[in-house]
Amino acid sequence: MAATEERLRKLVDDNLEIEGRTPGSPLDLDRSLSDAGVSSPDIVAFWKVVNEEFGVDISAEQFAEMLTPRDLVAHLDAA
Amino acid sequence: MHVDLTADADHEAEAVAWLDEGERGRWEGYPYSGPQRQFLLCRAALRAALCEQLGCGNGELSFETSEHGKPWARVGGVEAPISFNVSHGGRHGLIAIAPGGRLGVDVEELGDRRNLDLLMDGVLGENEHREIASKGGDDQLRSFFRLWTMKEALLKAHGKGLLVDATTFEIPPTVRRGAPRGQLELPQLPGVTLQVEDIGGEEFAAALAREVVPEAGSERAQSR
Repeated sequence: MAATEERLRKLVDDNLEIEGRTPGSPLDLDRSLSDAGVSSPDIVAFWKVVNEEFGVDISAEQFAEMLTPRDLVAHLDAA
Repeated sequence: MHVDLTADADHEAEAVAWLDEGERGRWEGYPYSGPQRQFLLCRAALRAALCEQLGCGNGELSFETSEHGKPWARVGGVEAPISFNVSHGGRHGLIAIAPGGRLGVDVEELGDRRNLDLLMDGVLGENEHREIASKGGDDQLRSFFRLWTMKEALLKAHGKGLLVDATTFEIPPTVRRGAPRGQLELPQLPGVTLQVEDIGGEEFAAALAREVVPEAGSERAQSR
């Protein structure tokens, strides 16, 4: 879980531009990306990046239904 | 209605006064300053606009959210007879209000964007992808976000937003070629005609989608 979380955090740092967020700061695992204020284009791009980085095939609907980074980490660890 | 989301301490202090207790908690809970300011200024502007439209006081107005997170309004605890939708992107917020029916709006600030190829793969249908890929530079960026905002406005009008795969439908060809508006049915919402309209400006792409309500006496109206 910690390794997956760290890879996700790095993907967030490299791919999401959020005004006020310092790259390298810890991810809030229990706050959804949209509740954290991530824009919808960034969420869609992040979905594609996660599929590429982890070699998975999560659908748009599945990704949108994973409400928090914790849900996503659990899904990736189980894949 | 356009909302200026530029950082402005006086404007933001004024906006806080419009929020109810729950909204202030949500505002305070945002971890990052940009999204926090966008929520604050858009929600305050929405409250002001709805109070004017509905002829009610701010204290009477409250919001609920649908199963998929789309907000709707109550006045004095009773569902308000009004449709609205809100979007924000960068320094730009947009609020759409209509007497009823499905409604969606989307705005995206235009600027350099990494991962544009991934975004194209994620939301465009085959024909749309081919057309946008044939463009370059600023024309490609503007054309992509023109389609993106139309698709997201339609999905917001649908009510499920990004829970629907945007590659499963395409914007009508006439609109893709530059017509300002057009009509379509989403495969996920058969029998409902939606009109989508380009309302973008120099600095931002934006679109409005609304349900086309059949006129009284038409075949569809009679079938309901």
